[in-house]
Amino acid sequence: MQDFFESIEKSFTKTFITDDRWLQLLQGLGVTVQITLLAGILGIVIGTLIAIIRSTHDLNLSGKKCCKPGDYVLKVLNFICNIYITIIRGTPIVIQLMIMYYVIFASSRNGILAAVLSFGINSGAYVAEIVRSGIMSIDKGQAEAGRSLGFNYSQTMIFIIIPQAIKNILPALGNEFIVLVKETSVAGYVALQDLTYVGNLIRSRTYEAFFPLIVVALIYLVIVLILTFLLKRLERRLRNSEH
Amino acid sequence: MKKLLSIVLAAAIVAAAGITMSACGSGSGAGGNTNSSASTDATKTIKSKDDLAGARIGVQLGTTGDIAYASDYEKEGSVIERYNKGADAVIALTQGKVDCVIIDSEPAKAFVEQNKGLKILDDTFDTEEYAIALPKDKENLVKDFNNALDELTKDGTLKSIVDNYIGDDTKGKSPYKSPENVDTSKGELHMATNAAFEPYEYKENNQIVGIDPMIAQAICDKLGYKLVIDDMDFDAIITAVQSGKADFGMAGMTIKDERKEAVSFTTPYTKTTQVIIVKE
Repeated sequence: MQDFFESIEKSFTKTFITDDRWLQLLQGLGVTVQITLLAGILGIVIGTLIAIIRSTHDLNLSGKKCCKPGDYVLKVLNFICNIYITIIRGTPIVIQLMIMYYVIFASSRNGILAAVLSFGINSGAYVAEIVRSGIMSIDKGQAEAGRSLGFNYSQTMIFIIIPQAIKNILPALGNEFIVLVKETSVAGYVALQDLTYVGNLIRSRTYEAFFPLIVVALIYLVIVLILTFLLKRLERRLRNSEH
Repeated sequence: MKKLLSIVLAAAIVAAAGITMSACGSGSGAGGNTNSSASTDATKTIKSKDDLAGARIGVQLGTTGDIAYASDYEKEGSVIERYNKGADAVIALTQGKVDCVIIDSEPAKAFVEQNKGLKILDDTFDTEEYAIALPKDKENLVKDFNNALDELTKDGTLKSIVDNYIGDDTKGKSPYKSPENVDTSKGELHMATNAAFEPYEYKENNQIVGIDPMIAQAICDKLGYKLVIDDMDFDAIITAVQSGKADFGMAGMTIKDERKEAVSFTTPYTKTTQVIIVKE
């Protein structure tokens, strides 16, 4: 029994204390959080814009002929957005990341920028469809009411439709963000020192699988738990307006 | 008309977002490289080992070049980029993402042959020895392997296998062939390797070939086992041997004290050294 505890203690020391490995894990966590946050923001910006373009098109132009110059612009934009969503959702994120790192950013040394862009662009495609589903879910009467009160199209969107849509899509958006956190674990493919990578690094030094893997898994779990908690609070806060 | 306006507005937001992002990106770049000194952002020309301090060094995760050398330079301000494959590190070198790559000499020759504009520095590190890794609790198997290696050294098989892959005059002339009616009565032996390490192990026509698989085949023929090769990441090999997922690991693996704590090594079967690859 004592041997057992001694061996556990030994491998714990090897995994965390030697060479300040806990500090490396912390730095890895920092990189993961940094990539996730920036990519999340980028994803929401891209996603919302595309969702607005796509739903404007679907609500106003679907099955109709173009009659104004604006309609043609909208059609082209909608077409581009469709291609973007198809390509991004149709290819694995690891491949997109490698393309970003080895092909598009071939001459750059900034791996983090490549990762943020590819994860953000990837997330954007999913967010776009989530936000679009939110906008489409709002009853047509809401838009008509807005217009009859004298709001123009964009005002109706910003003040009437989007706020209600956000409330509906919050669980799905949270889902997407949680997926994003865990997706960044492939950043090690392009030599970025994220959390998973540091776990692998420690494993390659200590030749012990248990502690590095379990601890990395636990850290991801804690991040997701914190996210879930924050999302729940936000959801509850938004529900206040229903009373 | 108002719809057109909203579209123009949307385009403006896209543009604004783009600008913010690029600002964010450069900001994150600065933040991400906090542990690197300013000198590592600029390319550094490496002419000898002395230039490695403060450079950006590419290695394969968990290899000797990573554990024994690059990690030491990390303390002297170098930035180490660890790739899953040696080939990825070499691609990064050709793109200027790293200033040099530290890797074993024979794979280095193969990489330089395939990529124009790369060269190997004359400066080398200490000589080291490759051996086969076996689980710690299987002393009998280690003995069997050592005996087989001994016999193969004595009858010249080992040398002819190495000559078949290294040396311009002898290349491809003396491949190892299993004797006919070979005995495989003792069952399978799984060999863990990382088949991206020419000439020691690499894929040719979708088969894993090279010095290590051939030696392993020769050993298995002698001992009466059937050889099964499992390809995996280099840093997974020792854990695979340790946990019994593989019976032995053979991947141009240098005998190192840290590794000895985890696995047993046979007698060494070949000698090598680490070299530095740079752009010409």
